[in-house]
Amino acid sequence: MKETYFFIALGAILGALSRYYLTLFCLNKWGNKYSYGTLFANLSGSFLIGFISTIIFYKIISLELQQFILIGFLGAYTTFSSYILDTSNLYREKRFMDAIFYGIGTPLIGFICIELGIISAKIYNSL
Amino acid sequence: MVKNPQIRIPIIISLGAIAGVLCRYYIGLWLLQNFKTQFPIDIFLINISGCFFMGFLSTILARKYPLHPELVLLLITGFLGTYTTFSTYELNTAVNLNNLSRDLLYWIGSPILGLFCLEIGIKLAQITLSIKSRS
Repeated sequence: MKETYFFIALGAILGALSRYYLTLFCLNKWGNKYSYGTLFANLSGSFLIGFISTIIFYKIISLELQQFILIGFLGAYTTFSSYILDTSNLYREKRFMDAIFYGIGTPLIGFICIELGIISAKIYNSL
Repeated sequence: MVKNPQIRIPIIISLGAIAGVLCRYYIGLWLLQNFKTQFPIDIFLINISGCFFMGFLSTILARKYPLHPELVLLLITGFLGTYTTFSTYELNTAVNLNNLSRDLLYWIGSPILGLFCLEIGIKLAQITLSIKSRS
């Protein structure tokens, strides 16, 4: 598909801006003790990718829309590099337990969120 | 240029995000074509290389350009935030699950190697800064 770059770029703009404003919102609401924004974006993004990638099996969704959502929006909404940087910063601030919980907890809960997304999609489809 | 930060900030992030997603997509395609493997090599290499750049750039920007928050929005929030991805990383792990050792290597190896590359990036930035400040 020639127009792939257009759809993924459009999705990425929406994804990155959603992540930015979510981070700002969390910063204002809960302060900067933890990066709640990045954590919440990664976990909710995991749930959504589990849900949508399963729905694709059941419902016909055009390739452009798939790329827009999965590669563009969700790819940009979630971020791996900030998660690693935050883990490293917690360690540098000598908050060792926080670093371990955040570092191990994010992929672990992310995995659960994906499975929840997959199960939700199957339930949704069977309704 | 656009002075109003309400418009300026989203434009800056968007520009970084467009570059980030296109790099992820086309580098990923190239890697998949050149390395015929069942291992999700594309997202693996993209994420750990992104961590390296994250360590390098965040250190350089904090030390050298502390008064330019827009560079952080462009390069960190926009570009690197979009270039690396967490959702596909988790999806690759959750969906495959037919080769446990490979999936565990990917799942646990990504954050560990990511942290390692981040530290290398930070060290390299510190060395670069100390060479520049001496000359």
